[in-house]
Amino acid sequence: MLLIDKLCYYSKLRYVNPGEKFLFTVIAIVFCIISRSVITAVFVLAINTILTVGIGRISGRRYRNMMLVPLIFLLISTLAIIVNLSRTPFDAFAIPVGGWYITGSISSVFFGIQLILTALAAVSSLYFLSLNTPMPDILTVLRRLHCPILLSELMMLIYRYIFVLLEIAVNILTAQKARLGNKDYRTSLKSFSAMISVLFIRAMQKSNALYDAMESRCYDGRILVLSEASGPKKKHLAGILLFGGVLLILTIAKKQGMIL
Amino acid sequence: MNLKQKKIVGTAAVICLLLGIAPVSNAMHIMEGYLPGKFCIFWGIICIPFLIAGFFSIRKKLNNNRRTLTLLAMAGAFVFVISSLKIPSVSGSCSHMTGTGLGAILFGPSAVSILGIIVLLFQAILLAHGGLTTLGANTFSMAVAGPFLSFGIFMLCKKCRLNRKVSVFLAACLGDLFTYCITAFQLALAYPSESGGIAASAVKFLGVFAPTQVPLAVIEGLITLLIIMALEAYAKPELKSLGFIKEENN
Repeated sequence: MLLIDKLCYYSKLRYVNPGEKFLFTVIAIVFCIISRSVITAVFVLAINTILTVGIGRISGRRYRNMMLVPLIFLLISTLAIIVNLSRTPFDAFAIPVGGWYITGSISSVFFGIQLILTALAAVSSLYFLSLNTPMPDILTVLRRLHCPILLSELMMLIYRYIFVLLEIAVNILTAQKARLGNKDYRTSLKSFSAMISVLFIRAMQKSNALYDAMESRCYDGRILVLSEASGPKKKHLAGILLFGGVLLILTIAKKQGMIL
Repeated sequence: MNLKQKKIVGTAAVICLLLGIAPVSNAMHIMEGYLPGKFCIFWGIICIPFLIAGFFSIRKKLNNNRRTLTLLAMAGAFVFVISSLKIPSVSGSCSHMTGTGLGAILFGPSAVSILGIIVLLFQAILLAHGGLTTLGANTFSMAVAGPFLSFGIFMLCKKCRLNRKVSVFLAACLGDLFTYCITAFQLALAYPSESGGIAASAVKFLGVFAPTQVPLAVIEGLITLLIIMALEAYAKPELKSLGFIKEENN
Protein backbone atom coordinates (compact mmCIF):
# COMPACT_ATOMS: atom_id res chain seq x y z
CA MET A 1 0.00 0.00 0.00
CA LEU A 2 2.61 2.53 1.05
CA LEU A 3 5.25 2.27 -1.65
CA ILE A 4 7.66 4.80 -0.16
CA ASP A 5 7.75 2.96 3.15
CA LYS A 6 8.61 -0.32 1.39
CA LEU A 7 11.27 1.21 -0.83
CA CYS A 8 13.18 2.94 1.94
CA TYR A 9 14.04 -0.41 3.56
CA TYR A 10 15.78 -1.49 0.31
CA SER A 11 17.78 1.73 -0.02
CA LYS A 12 21.56 1.38 0.08
CA LEU A 13 21.63 4.57 2.15
CA ARG A 14 19.35 3.09 4.78
CA TYR A 15 22.06 2.59 7.42
CA VAL A 16 23.60 6.04 7.01
CA ASN A 17 23.10 8.10 10.16
CA PRO A 18 19.53 9.52 10.01
CA GLY A 19 20.61 12.81 11.59
CA GLU A 20 22.93 13.43 8.62
CA LYS A 21 20.14 12.73 6.11
CA PHE A 22 17.75 14.96 8.03
CA LEU A 23 20.29 17.80 8.13
CA PHE A 24 20.96 17.44 4.40
CA THR A 25 17.25 17.59 3.59
CA VAL A 26 16.63 20.63 5.77
CA ILE A 27 19.59 22.52 4.26
CA ALA A 28 18.46 21.70 0.71
CA ILE A 29 14.83 22.74 1.25
CA VAL A 30 15.64 25.94 3.16
CA PHE A 31 18.13 27.18 0.55
CA CYS A 32 15.75 26.27 -2.30
CA ILE A 33 13.00 28.38 -0.77
CA ILE A 34 15.19 31.32 0.23
CA SER A 35 17.04 31.63 -3.08
CA ARG A 36 14.18 30.55 -5.39
CA SER A 37 16.53 30.43 -8.34
CA VAL A 38 16.49 28.18 -11.38
CA ILE A 39 20.17 27.28 -11.01
CA THR A 40 19.87 26.31 -7.32
CA ALA A 41 16.78 24.23 -8.07
CA VAL A 42 18.45 22.35 -10.93
CA PHE A 43 21.58 21.79 -8.79
CA VAL A 44 19.56 20.40 -5.85
CA LEU A 45 17.43 18.28 -8.19
CA ALA A 46 20.55 16.79 -9.79
CA ILE A 47 22.27 16.03 -6.46
CA ASN A 48 19.12 14.41 -5.05
CA THR A 49 18.62 12.28 -8.14
CA ILE A 50 22.25 11.12 -8.00
CA LEU A 51 21.95 10.30 -4.30
CA THR A 52 18.56 8.56 -4.43
CA VAL A 53 18.76 6.76 -7.78
CA GLY A 54 22.53 6.48 -8.26
CA ILE A 55 23.73 5.63 -4.75
CA GLY A 56 20.50 4.69 -2.94
CA ARG A 57 19.57 2.38 -5.87
CA ILE A 58 15.88 3.30 -6.03
CA SER A 59 14.59 2.42 -9.52
CA GLY A 60 14.77 5.42 -11.86
CA ARG A 61 11.37 4.72 -13.41
CA ARG A 62 9.74 4.67 -9.97
CA TYR A 63 11.52 7.87 -9.00
CA ARG A 64 10.28 9.62 -12.15
CA ASN A 65 6.69 8.48 -11.56
CA MET A 66 6.88 9.72 -7.99
CA MET A 67 8.16 13.11 -9.08
CA LEU A 68 5.06 13.40 -11.27
CA VAL A 69 2.74 13.10 -8.23
CA PRO A 70 2.96 16.77 -7.21
CA LEU A 71 2.98 18.02 -10.80
CA ILE A 72 -0.81 18.36 -11.09
CA PHE A 73 -1.07 20.57 -8.03
CA LEU A 74 1.87 22.61 -9.31
CA LEU A 75 0.42 23.07 -12.80
CA ILE A 76 -3.09 24.01 -11.63
CA SER A 77 -2.00 26.49 -8.98
CA THR A 78 0.72 28.03 -11.13
CA LEU A 79 -1.88 28.49 -13.86
CA ALA A 80 -3.84 30.60 -11.37
CA ILE A 81 -0.74 32.72 -10.74
CA ILE A 82 0.17 33.28 -14.40
CA VAL A 83 -3.27 33.83 -15.94
CA ASN A 84 -4.97 37.15 -15.26
CA LEU A 85 -8.25 38.77 -16.26
CA SER A 86 -7.60 42.39 -17.12
CA ARG A 87 -8.86 45.36 -19.17
CA THR A 88 -5.42 45.89 -20.64
CA PRO A 89 -3.35 43.13 -22.29
CA PHE A 90 0.04 42.17 -20.76
CA ASP A 91 3.18 41.40 -22.74
CA ALA A 92 3.44 37.56 -22.78
CA PHE A 93 0.06 36.51 -24.20
CA ALA A 94 -3.46 37.95 -24.40
CA ILE A 95 -6.72 36.38 -25.54
CA PRO A 96 -9.53 38.92 -25.96
CA VAL A 97 -12.89 37.94 -24.39
CA GLY A 98 -15.53 40.63 -24.84
CA GLY A 99 -14.08 43.84 -23.44
CA TRP A 100 -11.56 41.94 -21.27
CA TYR A 101 -8.34 40.02 -21.84
CA ILE A 102 -7.20 36.65 -20.50
CA THR A 103 -3.60 37.64 -20.23
CA GLY A 104 -0.24 37.25 -18.51
CA SER A 105 3.08 39.04 -18.35
CA ILE A 106 6.50 37.64 -19.26
CA SER A 107 7.78 38.27 -15.74
CA SER A 108 4.93 36.26 -14.24
CA VAL A 109 5.50 33.36 -16.66
CA PHE A 110 9.17 33.34 -15.66
CA PHE A 111 8.14 33.56 -12.00
CA GLY A 112 5.85 30.55 -12.52
CA ILE A 113 8.65 28.48 -14.04
CA GLN A 114 10.94 29.44 -11.17
CA LEU A 115 8.26 28.46 -8.67
CA ILE A 116 7.62 25.06 -10.27
CA LEU A 117 11.33 24.23 -10.39
CA THR A 118 11.85 25.34 -6.77
CA ALA A 119 8.93 23.22 -5.62
CA LEU A 120 10.15 20.18 -7.60
CA ALA A 121 13.62 20.55 -6.10
CA ALA A 122 12.14 20.82 -2.60
CA VAL A 123 9.95 17.75 -3.24
CA SER A 124 12.99 15.82 -4.45
CA SER A 125 14.74 16.69 -1.18
CA LEU A 126 11.76 15.41 0.75
CA TYR A 127 11.88 12.22 -1.32
CA PHE A 128 15.58 11.90 -0.53
CA LEU A 129 14.69 11.78 3.16
CA SER A 130 11.68 9.50 2.86
CA LEU A 131 13.07 7.09 0.26
CA ASN A 132 16.28 6.48 2.20
CA THR A 133 15.21 6.71 5.84
CA PRO A 134 12.76 4.34 7.56
CA MET A 135 10.18 6.11 9.70
CA PRO A 136 11.47 4.80 13.10
CA ASP A 137 14.84 6.44 12.32
CA ILE A 138 13.13 9.77 11.53
CA LEU A 139 11.27 9.48 14.84
CA THR A 140 14.61 8.91 16.61
CA VAL A 141 15.87 12.17 15.11
CA LEU A 142 12.73 13.98 16.29
CA ARG A 143 13.28 12.58 19.79
CA ARG A 144 16.88 13.88 19.74
CA LEU A 145 15.50 17.30 18.76
CA HIS A 146 13.54 17.29 22.06
CA CYS A 147 10.12 16.60 20.63
CA PRO A 148 7.86 15.95 23.70
CA ILE A 149 7.82 12.26 24.70
CA LEU A 150 4.03 12.17 24.52
CA LEU A 151 4.15 13.21 20.86
CA SER A 152 6.92 10.86 19.79
CA GLU A 153 5.13 8.03 21.59
CA LEU A 154 1.88 8.84 19.79
CA MET A 155 3.73 8.99 16.46
CA MET A 156 5.35 5.62 17.04
CA LEU A 157 2.00 3.99 17.83
CA ILE A 158 0.22 5.74 14.95
CA TYR A 159 2.93 4.63 12.53
CA ARG A 160 2.60 1.02 13.67
CA TYR A 161 -1.19 1.08 13.50
CA ILE A 162 -1.41 2.64 10.06
CA PHE A 163 -0.26 -0.70 8.66
CA VAL A 164 -2.57 -2.79 10.81
CA LEU A 165 -5.59 -0.73 9.77
CA LEU A 166 -4.49 -0.57 6.12
CA GLU A 167 -4.27 -4.35 6.01
CA ILE A 168 -7.79 -4.71 7.39
CA ALA A 169 -9.06 -2.08 4.94
CA VAL A 170 -7.41 -3.73 1.93
CA ASN A 171 -8.79 -7.14 2.89
CA ILE A 172 -12.30 -5.75 3.23
CA LEU A 173 -12.00 -3.91 -0.09
CA THR A 174 -10.91 -7.12 -1.82
CA ALA A 175 -13.81 -9.04 -0.29
CA GLN A 176 -16.22 -6.32 -1.42
CA LYS A 177 -14.84 -6.38 -4.96
CA ALA A 178 -15.21 -10.16 -5.12
CA ARG A 179 -18.90 -9.79 -4.20
CA LEU A 180 -19.68 -7.05 -6.78
CA GLY A 181 -19.56 -4.38 -4.10
CA ASN A 182 -18.66 -1.78 -6.72
CA LYS A 183 -21.19 -2.72 -9.42
CA ASP A 184 -22.51 0.84 -9.64
CA TYR A 185 -21.77 4.17 -8.04
CA ARG A 186 -24.48 3.91 -5.39
CA THR A 187 -23.30 0.52 -4.25
CA SER A 188 -19.68 1.56 -4.19
CA LEU A 189 -20.42 4.57 -1.97
CA LYS A 190 -22.35 2.24 0.32
CA SER A 191 -19.57 -0.38 0.42
CA PHE A 192 -16.92 2.26 1.04
CA SER A 193 -18.71 3.67 4.05
CA ALA A 194 -19.52 0.19 5.34
CA MET A 195 -15.81 -0.60 5.11
CA ILE A 196 -14.87 2.57 7.03
CA SER A 197 -17.35 1.87 9.80
CA VAL A 198 -16.14 -1.71 10.24
CA LEU A 199 -12.60 -0.34 10.24
CA PHE A 200 -13.57 2.07 13.02
CA ILE A 201 -15.07 -0.73 15.15
CA ARG A 202 -11.99 -2.90 14.64
CA ALA A 203 -9.72 0.03 15.50
CA MET A 204 -11.55 0.63 18.77
CA GLN A 205 -11.36 -3.05 19.73
CA LYS A 206 -7.68 -3.25 18.80
CA SER A 207 -6.84 -0.16 20.83
CA ASN A 208 -8.19 -1.82 23.98
CA ALA A 209 -6.33 -5.05 23.25
CA LEU A 210 -3.15 -3.09 22.52
CA TYR A 211 -3.26 -1.29 25.85
CA ASP A 212 -3.79 -4.55 27.75
CA ALA A 213 -0.88 -6.12 25.89
CA MET A 214 1.42 -3.18 26.59
CA GLU A 215 0.48 -2.96 30.24
CA SER A 216 1.09 -6.66 30.79
CA ARG A 217 4.61 -6.01 29.46
CA CYS A 218 5.26 -3.22 31.99
CA TYR A 219 4.53 -0.23 29.75
CA ASP A 220 5.37 2.95 31.65
CA GLY A 221 4.88 5.65 29.02
CA ARG A 222 7.96 4.96 26.90
CA ILE A 223 8.53 2.55 24.05
CA LEU A 224 12.25 2.04 23.49
CA VAL A 225 13.36 1.04 20.01
CA LEU A 226 16.83 -0.16 19.05
CA SER A 227 18.29 2.12 16.42
CA GLU A 228 20.15 0.21 13.70
CA ALA A 229 21.78 3.22 12.05
CA SER A 230 25.47 3.97 12.46
CA GLY A 231 26.96 7.12 13.97
CA PRO A 232 27.78 10.23 11.93
CA LYS A 233 30.85 9.94 9.64
CA LYS A 234 33.34 12.74 9.06
CA LYS A 235 33.28 12.14 5.30
CA HIS A 236 29.51 12.60 5.15
CA LEU A 237 29.58 15.69 7.34
CA ALA A 238 32.23 17.25 5.10
CA GLY A 239 30.04 16.47 2.07
CA ILE A 240 27.01 18.13 3.68
CA LEU A 241 29.16 21.14 4.62
CA LEU A 242 30.37 21.44 1.02
CA PHE A 243 26.80 21.10 -0.28
CA GLY A 244 25.61 23.81 2.14
CA GLY A 245 28.51 26.05 1.10
CA VAL A 246 27.71 25.76 -2.62
CA LEU A 247 24.04 26.50 -1.91
CA LEU A 248 25.01 29.53 0.19
CA ILE A 249 27.16 30.90 -2.65
CA LEU A 250 24.36 30.27 -5.18
CA THR A 251 21.85 32.01 -2.92
CA ILE A 252 24.08 35.07 -2.47
CA ALA A 253 24.72 35.18 -6.22
CA LYS A 254 20.98 35.05 -6.88
CA LYS A 255 20.26 37.82 -4.37
CA GLN A 256 22.94 39.96 -6.07
CA GLY A 257 21.19 39.30 -9.38
CA MET A 258 24.16 37.47 -10.90
CA ILE A 259 22.31 34.22 -11.81
CA LEU A 260 18.74 33.33 -12.73
CA MET B 1 -29.32 13.09 -32.53
CA ASN B 2 -32.54 14.62 -31.31
CA LEU B 3 -32.68 17.35 -28.73
CA LYS B 4 -33.10 15.01 -25.77
CA GLN B 5 -30.11 12.92 -26.77
CA LYS B 6 -28.03 16.04 -27.21
CA LYS B 7 -29.03 17.21 -23.75
CA ILE B 8 -28.03 13.87 -22.24
CA VAL B 9 -24.67 13.88 -23.98
CA GLY B 10 -24.08 17.49 -22.93
CA THR B 11 -24.90 16.83 -19.28
CA ALA B 12 -22.75 13.71 -19.25
CA ALA B 13 -19.85 15.67 -20.72
CA VAL B 14 -20.19 18.39 -18.08
CA ILE B 15 -20.33 15.85 -15.26
CA CYS B 16 -17.29 14.01 -16.61
CA LEU B 17 -15.39 17.28 -16.86
CA LEU B 18 -16.36 18.29 -13.34
CA LEU B 19 -15.44 14.98 -11.74
CA GLY B 20 -12.61 13.88 -13.95
CA ILE B 21 -10.58 16.98 -14.64
CA ALA B 22 -7.93 16.36 -12.03
CA PRO B 23 -6.86 12.74 -11.71
CA VAL B 24 -5.11 13.36 -8.43
CA SER B 25 -6.59 15.76 -5.95
CA ASN B 26 -5.51 14.93 -2.45
CA ALA B 27 -7.67 17.45 -0.67
CA MET B 28 -5.43 20.37 -1.53
CA HIS B 29 -2.20 19.87 0.37
CA ILE B 30 0.14 22.75 -0.48
CA MET B 31 3.26 21.15 -1.96
CA GLU B 32 6.70 21.28 -0.40
CA GLY B 33 8.58 24.37 -1.51
CA TYR B 34 5.54 26.16 -2.87
CA LEU B 35 5.20 28.85 -0.19
CA PRO B 36 7.77 31.63 0.41
CA GLY B 37 9.76 31.33 3.64
CA LYS B 38 8.01 34.04 5.62
CA PHE B 39 4.58 32.52 4.95
CA CYS B 40 5.80 29.09 6.10
CA ILE B 41 6.86 30.67 9.40
CA PHE B 42 3.74 32.84 9.66
CA TRP B 43 1.29 29.92 9.32
CA GLY B 44 3.42 27.80 11.62
CA ILE B 45 3.22 30.43 14.35
CA ILE B 46 -0.56 30.78 13.93
CA CYS B 47 -0.94 27.04 14.53
CA ILE B 48 1.09 27.00 17.75
CA PRO B 49 -1.65 28.11 20.19
CA PHE B 50 -4.05 25.49 18.80
CA LEU B 51 -1.40 22.81 19.03
CA ILE B 52 -0.50 23.74 22.61
CA ALA B 53 -4.18 23.69 23.57
CA GLY B 54 -4.52 20.29 21.91
CA PHE B 55 -1.38 19.01 23.64
CA PHE B 56 -2.64 20.01 27.09
CA SER B 57 -6.10 18.62 26.47
CA ILE B 58 -4.58 15.30 25.42
CA ARG B 59 -2.28 15.26 28.44
CA LYS B 60 -5.17 15.96 30.78
CA LYS B 61 -7.17 13.13 29.25
CA LEU B 62 -4.15 10.84 29.61
CA ASN B 63 -3.67 11.73 33.26
CA ASN B 64 -7.29 10.83 33.92
CA ASN B 65 -7.10 7.57 32.01
CA ARG B 66 -3.91 6.18 30.48
CA ARG B 67 -5.96 3.95 28.22
CA THR B 68 -6.73 7.01 26.11
CA LEU B 69 -3.22 6.88 24.61
CA THR B 70 -3.88 3.82 22.48
CA LEU B 71 -7.31 5.15 21.60
CA LEU B 72 -5.78 8.40 20.33
CA ALA B 73 -3.11 6.51 18.41
CA MET B 74 -5.83 4.42 16.78
CA ALA B 75 -7.76 7.58 15.96
CA GLY B 76 -4.68 9.06 14.29
CA ALA B 77 -4.00 5.91 12.27
CA PHE B 78 -7.70 5.79 11.36
CA VAL B 79 -7.66 9.36 10.02
CA PHE B 80 -4.48 8.62 8.05
CA VAL B 81 -5.92 5.45 6.54
CA ILE B 82 -9.25 6.94 5.47
CA SER B 83 -7.46 9.91 3.95
CA SER B 84 -5.08 7.67 2.00
CA LEU B 85 -7.74 5.37 0.51
CA LYS B 86 -9.25 6.23 -2.84
CA ILE B 87 -12.91 7.13 -2.54
CA PRO B 88 -15.26 5.91 -5.25
CA SER B 89 -15.67 8.53 -7.95
CA VAL B 90 -17.63 8.40 -11.16
CA SER B 91 -14.83 8.84 -13.66
CA GLY B 92 -12.32 6.49 -12.02
CA SER B 93 -10.12 9.43 -11.09
CA CYS B 94 -8.36 9.20 -7.77
CA SER B 95 -9.48 11.46 -4.98
CA HIS B 96 -9.24 11.21 -1.22
CA MET B 97 -11.32 12.47 1.65
CA THR B 98 -9.80 14.63 4.37
CA GLY B 99 -11.34 12.57 7.16
CA THR B 100 -10.82 15.41 9.59
CA GLY B 101 -14.54 16.24 9.67
CA LEU B 102 -15.34 12.72 10.80
CA GLY B 103 -12.44 12.87 13.25
CA ALA B 104 -13.64 16.15 14.74
CA ILE B 105 -17.19 14.84 15.18
CA LEU B 106 -16.00 11.62 16.82
CA PHE B 107 -12.96 12.71 18.84
CA GLY B 108 -13.36 16.50 19.31
CA PRO B 109 -11.49 19.29 17.49
CA SER B 110 -8.64 19.89 19.96
CA ALA B 111 -7.49 16.27 19.84
CA VAL B 112 -7.76 16.33 16.05
CA SER B 113 -5.38 19.32 15.83
CA ILE B 114 -2.55 17.29 17.39
CA LEU B 115 -3.47 14.11 15.52
CA GLY B 116 -3.79 16.22 12.38
CA ILE B 117 -0.24 17.56 12.48
CA ILE B 118 1.11 14.02 13.02
CA VAL B 119 -1.02 12.67 10.18
CA LEU B 120 0.10 15.51 7.89
CA LEU B 121 3.74 14.80 8.73
CA PHE B 122 3.23 11.13 7.86
CA GLN B 123 1.41 12.08 4.67
CA ALA B 124 4.32 14.31 3.68
CA ILE B 125 6.92 11.62 4.36
CA LEU B 126 5.06 8.46 3.33
CA LEU B 127 2.85 9.75 0.50
CA ALA B 128 4.54 13.01 -0.58
CA HIS B 129 1.25 14.87 -0.02
CA GLY B 130 2.19 18.26 1.39
CA GLY B 131 5.61 18.93 2.84
CA LEU B 132 7.79 19.81 5.80
CA THR B 133 8.02 23.58 5.25
CA THR B 134 4.34 23.85 4.31
CA LEU B 135 3.35 21.78 7.35
CA GLY B 136 2.24 24.92 9.21
CA ALA B 137 -0.03 26.15 6.43
CA ASN B 138 -1.49 22.69 5.83
CA THR B 139 -2.01 22.13 9.56
CA PHE B 140 -3.91 25.39 9.83
CA SER B 141 -6.25 24.63 6.93
CA MET B 142 -6.77 20.91 7.51
CA ALA B 143 -6.18 20.22 11.17
CA VAL B 144 -7.35 23.50 12.75
CA ALA B 145 -9.79 25.47 10.56
CA GLY B 146 -11.69 22.55 8.97
CA PRO B 147 -12.20 20.44 12.12
CA PHE B 148 -13.12 23.44 14.31
CA LEU B 149 -15.72 24.58 11.77
CA SER B 150 -17.07 21.03 11.38
CA PHE B 151 -17.37 20.66 15.13
CA GLY B 152 -18.94 24.10 15.49
CA ILE B 153 -21.56 23.37 12.86
CA PHE B 154 -22.27 19.99 14.40
CA MET B 155 -22.79 21.54 17.85
CA LEU B 156 -24.87 24.39 16.43
CA CYS B 157 -27.15 21.94 14.61
CA LYS B 158 -27.48 19.93 17.81
CA LYS B 159 -28.57 23.04 19.69
CA CYS B 160 -31.10 23.89 17.00
CA ARG B 161 -32.42 20.31 17.35
CA LEU B 162 -31.81 19.71 13.69
CA ASN B 163 -31.97 16.16 12.33
CA ARG B 164 -28.65 14.45 13.16
CA LYS B 165 -28.25 13.16 9.61
CA VAL B 166 -28.52 16.67 8.18
CA SER B 167 -26.10 18.04 10.76
CA VAL B 168 -23.47 15.36 10.10
CA PHE B 169 -23.69 15.96 6.36
CA LEU B 170 -23.45 19.74 6.78
CA ALA B 171 -20.56 19.51 9.24
CA ALA B 172 -18.42 17.26 7.02
CA CYS B 173 -19.29 18.95 3.74
CA LEU B 174 -18.85 22.55 4.95
CA GLY B 175 -15.71 21.65 6.90
CA ASP B 176 -14.20 20.29 3.69
CA LEU B 177 -15.27 23.36 1.71
CA PHE B 178 -13.85 25.64 4.40
CA THR B 179 -10.50 23.81 4.24
CA TYR B 180 -10.42 24.40 0.50
CA CYS B 181 -11.29 28.11 0.87
CA ILE B 182 -8.57 28.58 3.50
CA THR B 183 -5.99 26.90 1.26
CA ALA B 184 -6.98 29.11 -1.67
CA PHE B 185 -6.70 32.13 0.62
CA GLN B 186 -3.26 31.01 1.84
CA LEU B 187 -2.05 30.68 -1.76
CA ALA B 188 -3.56 34.05 -2.68
CA LEU B 189 -1.93 35.77 0.27
CA ALA B 190 1.45 34.44 -0.82
CA TYR B 191 0.91 35.16 -4.52
CA PRO B 192 -1.25 38.28 -5.05
CA SER B 193 -2.43 38.86 -8.61
CA GLU B 194 -0.73 41.38 -10.90
CA SER B 195 -4.08 42.98 -11.59
CA GLY B 196 -6.34 43.22 -8.56
CA GLY B 197 -4.12 42.03 -5.70
CA ILE B 198 -4.99 39.41 -3.10
CA ALA B 199 -8.76 39.40 -3.65
CA ALA B 200 -8.48 38.75 -7.38
CA SER B 201 -5.88 36.09 -6.75
CA ALA B 202 -8.12 34.38 -4.17
CA VAL B 203 -10.95 34.25 -6.71
CA LYS B 204 -8.60 32.69 -9.25
CA PHE B 205 -7.34 30.01 -6.86
CA LEU B 206 -10.90 29.26 -5.72
CA GLY B 207 -11.87 29.00 -9.38
CA VAL B 208 -9.19 26.58 -10.54
CA PHE B 209 -9.69 24.21 -7.62
CA ALA B 210 -13.51 24.41 -7.53
CA PRO B 211 -14.16 21.72 -10.20
CA THR B 212 -12.39 19.10 -8.10
CA GLN B 213 -13.06 20.31 -4.59
CA VAL B 214 -16.77 21.12 -4.64
CA PRO B 215 -17.95 17.66 -5.79
CA LEU B 216 -15.40 16.16 -3.41
CA ALA B 217 -16.90 18.07 -0.47
CA VAL B 218 -20.38 16.77 -1.32
CA ILE B 219 -19.06 13.20 -1.62
CA GLU B 220 -17.19 13.56 1.67
CA GLY B 221 -20.38 14.76 3.34
CA LEU B 222 -22.34 11.80 1.94
CA ILE B 223 -19.72 9.24 2.95
CA THR B 224 -19.37 10.70 6.46
CA LEU B 225 -23.15 10.55 6.83
CA LEU B 226 -23.26 6.90 5.72
CA ILE B 227 -20.40 6.05 8.10
CA ILE B 228 -22.11 7.68 11.09
CA MET B 229 -25.37 5.90 10.24
CA ALA B 230 -23.58 2.56 10.08
CA LEU B 231 -21.77 3.28 13.34
CA GLU B 232 -25.02 4.16 15.09
CA ALA B 233 -26.42 0.84 13.95
CA TYR B 234 -23.45 -1.40 14.81
CA ALA B 235 -21.14 0.38 17.21
CA LYS B 236 -23.31 1.87 19.97
CA PRO B 237 -20.98 0.82 22.84
CA GLU B 238 -17.90 2.29 21.13
CA LEU B 239 -19.69 5.54 20.37
CA LYS B 240 -20.90 5.72 23.96
CA SER B 241 -17.37 5.33 25.28
CA LEU B 242 -16.37 8.33 23.16
CA GLY B 243 -19.35 10.31 24.49
CA PHE B 244 -20.86 10.64 21.01
CA ILE B 245 -24.33 9.31 21.84
CA LYS B 246 -24.77 10.22 25.48
CA GLU B 247 -28.01 12.17 25.46
CA GLU B 248 -29.81 9.64 23.27
CA ASN B 249 -30.42 7.43 26.29
CA ASN B 250 -31.92 9.84 28.80
